Formats: sequence, structure tokens, C-alpha cells
Amino acid sequence: MKAEHTRKLIVLAAIWVALLLAPYWMAPLGGYTALATRVLVLGLAAMSLNFLLGFTGVLSFGHAAYFGLGAYGAGLTLKFLALSTPLALVAGMLLGGLCGAILGLLIVRRRGVYFAMVTIAFGQVFYYIAFQWSSLTGGDDGLRGFSRQPIDLGAFKLDILSSANSFYYFVLFCFALAVGVMGFILRSPFGRTMIAIRENERRSRFLGIPVERHIWIAFTLSCFFMGFAGALYALVNNFADPRGLHYSQSGDFVMMAVMGGMRSFWGPLLGATVFVVLQDYLSSVTVNWMSFVGLLFVLVVLFFPRGLLGFFQRSKA
Amino acid sequence: MTSLIFNPRFDRRKLLKGAAALGALQVASPFIIQARGETPIKIGMVDPLTGVYAAPAGNEVMGAKLAIEQINAKGGMLGRQVELLVEDSANDVGTGVQKARKLIERDQVNFIIGDVNSGIAAAIAQVTAEKRILHIVSGGHTDSITGKDCKWNVFRVCNTTRMEANSVSNVLFTKYGKKWHFITPDYAFGHTLYDACTDDLKKLGGTVTGNELTPLGTTDFSAYLIKARAANPDVLILLVQGSDMINCLKQVVQFGLNKQIHVAGTQQELESLAALPPEARVGVWMFEWYWKQPGVPGVEKFVADIRKVNNGNVPTARHWFGYTSAMSFALVANKEKTTDAVKLAAALEDFELPDDVKLQPNKVYYRKGDHQLMTSAFVGEAQSKGKDDPEDLYRVDEVVPGDKTAPAVSETGCTIQWPA
Repeated sequence: MKAEHTRKLIVLAAIWVALLLAPYWMAPLGGYTALATRVLVLGLAAMSLNFLLGFTGVLSFGHAAYFGLGAYGAGLTLKFLALSTPLALVAGMLLGGLCGAILGLLIVRRRGVYFAMVTIAFGQVFYYIAFQWSSLTGGDDGLRGFSRQPIDLGAFKLDILSSANSFYYFVLFCFALAVGVMGFILRSPFGRTMIAIRENERRSRFLGIPVERHIWIAFTLSCFFMGFAGALYALVNNFADPRGLHYSQSGDFVMMAVMGGMRSFWGPLLGATVFVVLQDYLSSVTVNWMSFVGLLFVLVVLFFPRGLLGFFQRSKA
Repeated sequence: MTSLIFNPRFDRRKLLKGAAALGALQVASPFIIQARGETPIKIGMVDPLTGVYAAPAGNEVMGAKLAIEQINAKGGMLGRQVELLVEDSANDVGTGVQKARKLIERDQVNFIIGDVNSGIAAAIAQVTAEKRILHIVSGGHTDSITGKDCKWNVFRVCNTTRMEANSVSNVLFTKYGKKWHFITPDYAFGHTLYDACTDDLKKLGGTVTGNELTPLGTTDFSAYLIKARAANPDVLILLVQGSDMINCLKQVVQFGLNKQIHVAGTQQELESLAALPPEARVGVWMFEWYWKQPGVPGVEKFVADIRKVNNGNVPTARHWFGYTSAMSFALVANKEKTTDAVKLAAALEDFELPDDVKLQPNKVYYRKGDHQLMTSAFVGEAQSKGKDDPEDLYRVDEVVPGDKTAPAVSETGCTIQWPA
């Protein structure tokens, strides 16, 4: 028991050291800091989705909608309201989260494939709103004309616009914050209840757990995290576009989560890393890069049903 | 023996390990940075090589590659060799921006070309402006790139949608009539093109009988065409592009609509005409560049050079876009003897392209106020069969200079802010 605990701590420390030093070890290996930033943001999105998929056991296929809403929330704030990066992040998170909370009320009544389909349907509603409402969102051209602002820490200013490294550490700080909250929720009695629902919904119901309400809360929280990731994504690109809301983007998130390992907390981050790095590298080599990513996904699903991380953990044990 | 064939001596685990090792090898190889001799000057190109715009993007890359070959053959840029790095934007803004950053941060490119998709082009322009990299938009047409969102470091080779509309409006109005009906693709490019056309029509004193907005990727246009016929216009204007254009024109001919109403439009591309059956190659259009220009210097050589690398096919406007974009960098850098982006951007203002690059009769230059290339519009009519070449599917009636089609700088909404 104690050995397992120390091993966990070592793994956790290794992950954080790797993340903290990413700008220094990525460059010699042929990567670049902006790629690491993108991995963090998409990894956070995949982890947010996994909060729902892996720990509550319901599959949402429309989570890109809340991701995209977060991006638009942040972008619109920077463009029209105030030149403040923290405010943009909060606005993006609130937009994604509140829309998720409202729609969640309608969605949680369904289960299984119907749940997935209803989430796709609502996701596409937002996609078409962003696509058609050109005067506000810029339509198909996307929302542009905003950029992330330096952060004023009183004593000194953090220039996250032109310095790739500063921006990476800013994103890492946000990531740590979000992941910390996520981990805290999962360790709480509420998190245990979620896992109980995942394992046996009928039994949880008989135990007197209000299942619908719990799924709704999990869905809402997951949308808040997703909105936060989306807001960060808008800052990464200085841009928001409707494709970020499209269900194919949701598919990518599900793929990252499943590929990395949807029963484990860190799995989706690994999945996102593999997905983003592979996409970045392969697409410079061949135009058929999607076939290779697809092939990898098929292999993972066939041979490592618990995902890449699940496989590593099993082989160690 | 047979049992050994059907039950090979390795189990699933071994297979997995082998596959993982093989996979790791694939991923590991890129991280070895090759030793570099004298560092070449690098031009980065971001284009949607996969997705809806794969064909035009591929042609732009082909044109740019030809330009690089010719530049290197003539001694390169500032005495150094030039290298082209091509990245796929996958027709997605996030990926496009990421690729632009990769080219700038990791590969340290000096120049950027791209993208066919206007949205991605605009997003990349923000990155290049931030990083102070000279950027030429090869094939994204939306007005705002050299209009209200213009930047000091961004230049554009292809026409704006305004220029496209202005080039044909007059001809259509005087030749065919003043009641126009539109079929417009329902996204940014279509909307701005429609606005430009209707503005022209209003100025000329004509009327719009209706506008059919069709989603991108429509295959059945019959309902729209029936509505258009019922409105009884003089001219049916097709603003759709790519496969939509092909499907729409096919159905126009099947309905016999071209016998009752004049069919026309703005931008037409050789890629689309080539994909149509001969009887459906009808209508008055504008080309942004056409390969058959008897007597214009340099064109024949360019056509012959592209034929060599393009399976014997002639260049399209997209080849010329890629070629001109890459050539512009080399010309201006060699003239100014520097790679400094700010100096080169200033030098590109009112920079005139020489005969062997512009490949058209009129004066062609990057306009000072908005950085838009003043390139000609080739107005003419589609023809079902070429006279002496199977790919001569268009008859050019008039080559209108860019000065005449482009709105004045003050109307573009562009004010360029130079870095301090």
C-alpha cells in the first residue's frame, strides 16, 4: 500500500517536472514552445470531457460547443468589453459553463446513444449560430481583431503576447489551477458518487442518490472546465472560429480521451499529447496524415482498451 | 508444419511490442536535426493541402516550387540558396496558426506565403504581424485582408471580391440586361461577393430579382433554378465555386436554362471548367489569370515549365499565384540587399513586377495604400472546346487592368500602421 503511494507520488512529480521544463526539452527534440502550449490547452479540454466520460460514465459528443463558446466568450470580451486577459478567461468559462448548465437540464434525461445524439444536436445549434451571426461572431471568417494582453502583477508586467515562454507558463499555471480543482472534486464525496453512478446507475438510484441531479452537476462542471480550456485556446490563437464548435472537434476530444485512457485522470493529457504532436509532425510529412492518426486510434481501441496510460499501468503492475 | 503457419510463434504481446517499436521509430526520426551548411533563406508556405481546397492549394505549391527552382538557378536570394517549407493547414484555423508559428519559431523562416482559405489567411496575418515576418496572401479573396484588417507586413496577390465583381458588372449590364438573379454560396466569400455585385448593379441602375443562398456542398440546385426561372431575370449570376459550380452549371444546362437566360458569374477557374462536360461550359466570367496569351512575353515559357511538372497540363491561376508570391520575395530582397521585414515591406509598396513574373500585358504592382496587387481581370466566355488545345476552354475578350477594377484606397477602409 505504501509502495503504491510513493509510486504515485513519483509519477505525479515526474509529470509536473516534465511540464515545467517543457520549453527547455522540447526545442532540442525538434518541438517548439507553442506546440507545448497547444498540448496543454487541448489536454485540459480532453480532461474536462473525461471528467464526464471517464468518471461519470456518460459520453458527450457535443462538448466542442462549450469549448468554442469559451473561445468566443474570451474573444468577444477582449474585443468589445475590456482589454484584460483574466477577465476574458472568466467570461469564456462562464459563457461555456452557463450554457452547459442550462442545456444540461434537458440533456441529462437521456442515456447512452440518445445522450450522445442530443449533445451533438445542441452542439450543432451553437455551431450554426456562430456561423450565421456574422455581425457579432465574424461568421465563417471567424472572430479576430483581439489579442491576449500583458498581465499586470503590480510589481511587474508579464508579457504573454510576444514571449512564447511566458505565455506557456501562464497557460501551465491556469492548467494547474483547473486540474487541481478537478482532482479535488474527484476526491470529494461528490466525486465518489459520480464513480458510483458510472459503475452501477440502478444501484446508486436505489441507494437514494439523485442520479439525474448528479449527472447534471457533473455535466455543468465539465462544461465550465471546457469553457475555460476554450478561452485559453482563443488566447493561444488570438482567434476564434466556428469550426471550434463543430461536432468533428468533439470527436477529436473523445479520441484524445479514449486513446490516452479514459479511466485514468492523466490519460487524456497523454492522448492529447500523442494526437497533437503526431498531427503536427505527420502533416508536414504527408497529406495523408489523418489515415495514420486514425490507424493509431484503431490499434489503441483494439489492443489497449484501457488506453495508452491504462496499458502502461497494467504492464507495470 | 501447417499448424506453425496458422499459429505463428509470436503472441499478441510480441506483435504489440513490435508495432510499438516500429511506431516509435516513425515518430522519433523527425527529432534529429540535420547538420546545416551555409544556412539557406527559408520561405514558409501554409496552404490547405487536405480538404475542400486541396486542388487549388496543391497548384499554388507547385507554382511556388517552380519559382524557388528558378530563383536558385539564378543564384538565389542575396547569394544564398532558397528553401521552401510547405505545411498543411488542413483548412482549419487553429492548425493553420499553429503551423505558421512552427515555421516562424522552429524553422526560423524569413517569409510566409498562404493561405487559400481567407479565414486562415487573416489569422496567420495576425501571427506574422506579431512576429514581424513579411507575408504574402496567395489565394484568399475576402476584402478585409487588404481592407479594414490590413497590416504593414501583409501583401496580397489574388483579387479582392470587389475587384472580381467590378471587372464583369459593366460588361454584363450593357451586353445582357439589367435584371439579375443570384445564386450565392452561404458563407463569407459568397456574401461579400454578392454585396459587391449588387452595389455595382445599383450604381448602374439595374434591379435584383432575387438571391438564392445555397449551403456549401449543395448537390441538387433544381429548386433554386426553378425559382430563378420563375423570377424571369435577364442574367443568372452564379457566385458558387468549386464542386458547387460544377453541379450548378451542369443542372443549368440540363434544365435548358442557358437557352432562356444569360448565364454568367464572377470568378471562374480552369479547374472547374475542365471538370464540366463540354455542353455545360457556358457563360461570361472573369479569370484571375489565363494561360493562353499570345504575344505576351514569358507566358509560353511559364506554361511549358509548368507542363513539365504538372503531368503535361497547363497552369491555372493558382499556379501563377504561388509563383508570383515566391518571386516577389526574391525580387524585392535582391533589390534591397536585405531580409529585414520592415524595409522590404516599405520597398514592396508600389513595387512593379517585371514581365517574366507578371505574365500579362498590363502594369502590375503592389498598391501603396492597401498592399493589394493590381493584377488584371481576364474577362471572357467559357467555350465548350478549345480550337487547337483541349485545355483552351476559355476565350479572353478583354484584359482589364487592376487599377480599373480595384476601388480607391480610401474606399477599402485600410489604414496601415507601421511598427514603431
